[in-house]
Amino acid sequence: MSDTPAGAAASASSSLGDSLVNDWDARDDLPPADWGRPRGPRRVATVWLFALFLMALAFGNAWLSDALDGDAFLAWATIFTAISLQALPFLVFGVALSAALTAFVPASFYQRVFPRNAAAAVPVAGLAGAVLPGCECASVPVANGLMRRGVAPAAALTFLLAAPAINPVVLVATAVAFAGQPEMVAARFAASLGAAVVVGWVWARFGRTDWIRAPRTHHDPGAPRWRVFQESMTHDLMHAGGFLVVGALAAATLNVIVPREWVSAVADRPVVSVLVLALLAILLSICSEADAFVAISLTEFSPTAKLAFLVVGPMVDLKLIALQAGTFGWAFVRRFVPLTLGVALVFTFVIGGILL
Amino acid sequence: MNRIAQGMVLVLLGAAALTSTVFTDLYLNYVQEAFRPFLIASGLVVAALGLAIIGAELRVVVRGEEEAAEAAADGHAGHDHGHGHDHSRAPRVAWLLLLPVVSVFVIAPPALGAYTAETAASAAPPQDSAAEAEFDELGDPSSNAPVEMKLQEFVSRAWTDEERAMSGRTIELTGFVVPHPEGEGWYLARLQMACCAADAIVNRVLVTAQPDGTAAPETDSWWTVRGTWEEPAGDLQSVRDHRFRVEEMTAVDNPPDPYE
Repeated sequence: MSDTPAGAAASASSSLGDSLVNDWDARDDLPPADWGRPRGPRRVATVWLFALFLMALAFGNAWLSDALDGDAFLAWATIFTAISLQALPFLVFGVALSAALTAFVPASFYQRVFPRNAAAAVPVAGLAGAVLPGCECASVPVANGLMRRGVAPAAALTFLLAAPAINPVVLVATAVAFAGQPEMVAARFAASLGAAVVVGWVWARFGRTDWIRAPRTHHDPGAPRWRVFQESMTHDLMHAGGFLVVGALAAATLNVIVPREWVSAVADRPVVSVLVLALLAILLSICSEADAFVAISLTEFSPTAKLAFLVVGPMVDLKLIALQAGTFGWAFVRRFVPLTLGVALVFTFVIGGILL
Repeated sequence: MNRIAQGMVLVLLGAAALTSTVFTDLYLNYVQEAFRPFLIASGLVVAALGLAIIGAELRVVVRGEEEAAEAAADGHAGHDHGHGHDHSRAPRVAWLLLLPVVSVFVIAPPALGAYTAETAASAAPPQDSAAEAEFDELGDPSSNAPVEMKLQEFVSRAWTDEERAMSGRTIELTGFVVPHPEGEGWYLARLQMACCAADAIVNRVLVTAQPDGTAAPETDSWWTVRGTWEEPAGDLQSVRDHRFRVEEMTAVDNPPDPYE
């Protein structure tokens, strides 16, 4: 089991000789083939597969790195890596928090915090979103953890929508980016919270539980807490992580291929420009803690259009859709995403009309 | 995806996060410097989780088959609530977690450069002039020592500093070369990043004059230039390209942090 870190570190140091030697050494650590016979062969095959993968990494590192060029490909790879690496801490934080909610916080706590009636729990969940400092990558697993502990799905979903948009870190970032325009911060807060709460109420009234892939119920109550914590973290990381990579692939591709001139061409049409910036927010999947800095750079657009970018982005984007599909299933995404997008746009127009 | 594969994917993912932050400065090509401690922490957590899974799997193997079968039965009983997947196994899509690993170790993509600077959104003049721009003094105005500035700072001053304090001063800027599509002169550019490379914004100045006898520099090469701001005749905010006359230029190796 010490093989993987040694191999990985070796492939980072670029000497091919060293990495090969390390890989050879690592082979000795592999379990002999006669361990755990009946189920063993699959495990052993997996271990061999990874040994080969490590060697391929080492070879690729030595020979392929310099051969890869092409400006567009490298820019794409940079953005893909950037989105993945940037999301990793948030995802791990969200998954760990969700696992902690499952393993260490007793179910009675949630019953005290969230009113039993779903319609009353929704606004509470929306305001609770203002406390979690993170972005959308963290909020999906946490919402899943809340549902797992018996919080009404509508309330957990309101939390999911509100947390990335109205938490203090995001509001401060918005205030810094839009220095001298405090009304933008107020509009973002009002429109995001309003949309999240309304979506929650609609879901509480019309939503059906079988649209959401049942979150894993409790482990057997006797299991040690750390074991539950670890299991829950692995499960969430594996389910959400792969889809996060799908989202990063899509976002990086669109980031490279959509020319910004197309976008600015429609800047002076009142309604279309709002819809275009909403679409851009969906496609670019920028972390909600950074999107204000991008919005401020879209200077040709009206304040309402920028507000659409800030309100829609944290609630609906490719990365988020992929994460939700991985966590709650496609049947959920098919219904939830259009609902959220519609409500978010309505709130953008209304609040934008009043405040901006 | 079986348990041991999950463990190994997690260990590799953690190793990629740690390698790009602890052993190299690769992460600076992709994310803000402030992300370093968080990347290290999440790398450690992920790698530790992976090792724990591999360790548990190996213990099961060592303990022998009956117990393993029992543990497997334990692990599955009571979890069957109709969505038909087995919780000790992960979905196939989780294999994609190896893509960032390949990207970091094999491709190790460089920082964004001229290709992006030509297509990405440019910084633009702040619309709201009510946001009274407050600027520090530019060194001692009477001395003629060159003033070192970030490109970002230069650009925002050139758009908003109605006092025009930069006029006539020698200014030092560092950035990379982007060709001018219409041919005349070239841009010195630097990407400004709020969080990660996906939100990069370009700040650039158009170099209109350079020391005699030097050829136009190569695209994507990095330079520190000294020169003066070519003050626009009209309104500051109506300027599209800030013009800069270079008097002295030195090539630099890629600065440690390519973004500002």
